[in-house]
Amino acid sequence: MIELLNNLGDGLAFVMGVIPILTITLGVTMGIIAGATPGLSPSMGVALLVPFTYAMSPTLALILLVAIYIAANYGGSITAVTINAPGTPSSVVTAFDGYPLTKKGKPGMALGVSLVSSTIGGIVGTLILIFFSGPLARFALKFHPAEYFALAIFGLTTVASLGGKNWNKAFIAAMFGLLLNTIGIDPISGVSRFTFGLSFLYDGFALIPALIGLFALSEIFKQLEGGNFANLQMDAGKQEWPSASAYWKLKNTILRSSFMGTIIGIFPGAGATIAAFISYDVTKRLSKKPEEFGKGSMEGVAAAEGANSSSVGGALIPLLTLGIPGSASTAVLIGALMIHDLTPGPQLFISNPDIIYGLLASLLLANIILLVLGFFGSRLWIKVTTIPKTVLFPLIFAVSIIGSFAVRNSFFDVAACLAFGVFGWILRRYNYPVAPIILGMVLGNIAETNFIRAVMMGGWTVFFTRPLSLGMLVVAAASFAVPLIQARKQKQSPEQSN
Amino acid sequence: MKQVINDNRVKLTLRGLGIIIILAGLLLLAPKAYGAFPEKPIKVVVYTGPGGLIDISARKFAGIASKYVDVNFVVENKPGAGGIVALKKVIQAPADGYNLYACTKSNIAKFVQVGGEGYLDALHWTAMLMADPECVITNRQMDIHEWPDLVENALAVPGEQTWVGPAAGGLDHVTALKIWDKYGMDAKWIPFKSGGKALAALLGEQGLAYVGNPRDALGNPDLFIAAVSAPERLEAFPEVPTFTELGMPGLENEFMWRGFALKQGTPQEVIDWYDDLFKKVTADEDWKTFWSKGGLDVTYVAEPEFSRLVAEDAEVFEYYLKKSDILPGDAVGFLAKLAIGSQFTIFAILLVLVWLSSSYVVYRSGYSALLGRFMVIGFFLLVSILFLVQSMNFPSSSAVGPAAVPRLWITMLIPLNLLLMIRTFRKNEAASESGPRVDIVLSFIGFLVAYLLLMQIFGYFLSTFVFILAGLYYLGYRNTRNSLIISGTWILFSYIVFYKTLYVPLPLGSLFQNLF
Repeated sequence: MIELLNNLGDGLAFVMGVIPILTITLGVTMGIIAGATPGLSPSMGVALLVPFTYAMSPTLALILLVAIYIAANYGGSITAVTINAPGTPSSVVTAFDGYPLTKKGKPGMALGVSLVSSTIGGIVGTLILIFFSGPLARFALKFHPAEYFALAIFGLTTVASLGGKNWNKAFIAAMFGLLLNTIGIDPISGVSRFTFGLSFLYDGFALIPALIGLFALSEIFKQLEGGNFANLQMDAGKQEWPSASAYWKLKNTILRSSFMGTIIGIFPGAGATIAAFISYDVTKRLSKKPEEFGKGSMEGVAAAEGANSSSVGGALIPLLTLGIPGSASTAVLIGALMIHDLTPGPQLFISNPDIIYGLLASLLLANIILLVLGFFGSRLWIKVTTIPKTVLFPLIFAVSIIGSFAVRNSFFDVAACLAFGVFGWILRRYNYPVAPIILGMVLGNIAETNFIRAVMMGGWTVFFTRPLSLGMLVVAAASFAVPLIQARKQKQSPEQSN
Repeated sequence: MKQVINDNRVKLTLRGLGIIIILAGLLLLAPKAYGAFPEKPIKVVVYTGPGGLIDISARKFAGIASKYVDVNFVVENKPGAGGIVALKKVIQAPADGYNLYACTKSNIAKFVQVGGEGYLDALHWTAMLMADPECVITNRQMDIHEWPDLVENALAVPGEQTWVGPAAGGLDHVTALKIWDKYGMDAKWIPFKSGGKALAALLGEQGLAYVGNPRDALGNPDLFIAAVSAPERLEAFPEVPTFTELGMPGLENEFMWRGFALKQGTPQEVIDWYDDLFKKVTADEDWKTFWSKGGLDVTYVAEPEFSRLVAEDAEVFEYYLKKSDILPGDAVGFLAKLAIGSQFTIFAILLVLVWLSSSYVVYRSGYSALLGRFMVIGFFLLVSILFLVQSMNFPSSSAVGPAAVPRLWITMLIPLNLLLMIRTFRKNEAASESGPRVDIVLSFIGFLVAYLLLMQIFGYFLSTFVFILAGLYYLGYRNTRNSLIISGTWILFSYIVFYKTLYVPLPLGSLFQNLF
């Protein structure tokens, strides 16, 4: 323990230099931009910078990449809040309440809460990474495919409470997302499914174009249909920002979400999106004002951002302690480490403690720099809401087109984005929530591959014979049933009183 | 105001004409392919996203090659379908040597699975630059981790021993199949999304063995290389025995390779130019030290040796993929399935058209609010049924075949929709959130479609410039100067950030491409 603190002290001393601070600031700035631009993902941002880091010292290179990774997770929430166009899949959940707050004329509240929750989430995730990475990594390794499947099912049941009155439609949307995910080459058997012989369908639908279409485009179509482009009358100078007491009230939500986000982030492949959905769901259940969720609840924003930012720390646990990537971005980090002749894994702690602890210290510092840049930046992002819609809409179309093209450099994705936009617009006209489609597309692969792996390894009964998997499935079943029963009760009680 | 806009339109048209005239002039002046190769930047097409080993290889190659020749190498990522998307890009372009395909042995497995010989023959296999031996990695914490114990255990419990690794049908899987074949073993291959995730499963004691490259075992002392497929022990891993030493001949040369290919039919002088370049790069000290730091050996194998190797690889892949039921066994069955496939596609398109046209009728009718709900439910049911029918065609060699999970989702989707239908009939739900200006939405959708089509001809930059101007105007923004500034800034931004910095190959348009 003392050695750990000593090492950490050395690390902190290293990152307090001018060059490391400048590097982190550069990384955070680039990360915010990459995160806020739909179509640019944290992993792309990290990947594209890898070649530039050849010439840098390994520690600085890693610090730069990790700073981008952290900031991109926050960046996604900016566009989610201001224009309902989540920049990253995990910030879909931030949009649930962030955008309604903007529509109410309070984007400052949403941006403030999202920044502070992100920062605290990031710091909690880092602290857990520093102090408990060993035991947590060993636990994560024992996670059987049956348990991954149960986790995916658990994530899916959040739809029950997300949908509320529209739970039936919400589930249809989720199932449709899951079904869309099966298009393409089957990851287990290699057979091509539902591709109709079209080679651009071999990899199925990419998530980001679907995300941009279902959220950003359908939102514009909806507003165009409303025929009213009058701007929200807001004065960016007089914007309302959350007060200290407002933050203090959210402390439990933020901390709980941060812990959940870190833990869920540890499991390779699960990541930020599931963490945000589950945390949002749990927060809503525990909240004293669950009826505000989806209509502009600050708790909702805090739950989403706390979880998705803390999942970064979680995802780095298997990477640093075992050399196993927990997300697409960390997979790229492995490549970056290897270029610098470093092999991630337990050996790295012994052979290069300076690098590891420099990295850990820089994670803490990056979160603080994120807070500072975000604090001043928020005054800038908020101006997006004051751009006349006649100007904003064509530009959002342009961003959507280039963003969906950039994912795989493919025109098919652009067409898919447009189709998803029209589809989402129609669905929203008939009160179908679109977020479950994204959840289905995110969970589909995890659910399917682990389901099949589990059966291959342990037969059909494996889900019920492993205690952890059984427990998670029971909790999932309960969290599925409870909101439905509650909804039924609520429906009956006014009828009885009538 | 209107006058200003008209003027502006005229200006735009003139500018467009001006550009076309200048370009046409350039075309006439340009020397017609008589100059020495290369006269323009060479694209290095990579089949994965940025950051993977093949991407790093391509970028490093581009960096070092430009020391020796005066030409720009542009790395372009075309991920998708295990390399087919990138391959199509290369073979659809002219065979002029300006598209270099960065490939690995995994591509061969994919080509065999999807297209057979056609894809292999479409390429001229120019240079193999790296070879990485395959090995079996085990978990030192488990009792069974030495190679002989592993074999003994597999023979004792046939069909029960679990091996983990990346995708089924890939190089590592086929290597495992080959090893099992030689030893007469029968084990289970549990595929993971990536090698890293499979290693996690090995460390979590969910499997006994993993197949990959020796480098995978670095960094974690629990990972133990049980045997390596190489003619002799590796310099970097002197303690690891080869299969030959372990008493099994025929497994001394299983390796992953990386290299470059050109389109078949590329002129000989271009190929000579590349051969010369590859020789220089392979001999480069920077190139050698860069890869040896990562534990990789550089090599150089050119035609015809490389082609022979590829053909051999394809044969082996085909043999083992058929054996493990990933490739359909008899051609008759396969063709029959294809026939059903195309008829089915026509059937599906017809159904969708019927649905679309009836949607339109519903929309025009006075009952759109109510009937619309049923059209949406109908859409979901239609997709479910189409997918269900198609899933009948999937091969199913095991209990949980590729049809299992899609059917699971469909069997939940259909009852949910039927339930919703009943609920919609029984009570009037909250009215749909429709607004008065559907016409604006429809015309914008039309705009977008037109914009995407124009992009194919005029390229991204020109069509986007026009699209933003038109969009601003249509929505009623009438400040011409600002409109021009907004579109211009966007074009500049997308050029600098996306095209130049992020290497996103925004389409330049068939018009301009043909001109140059």
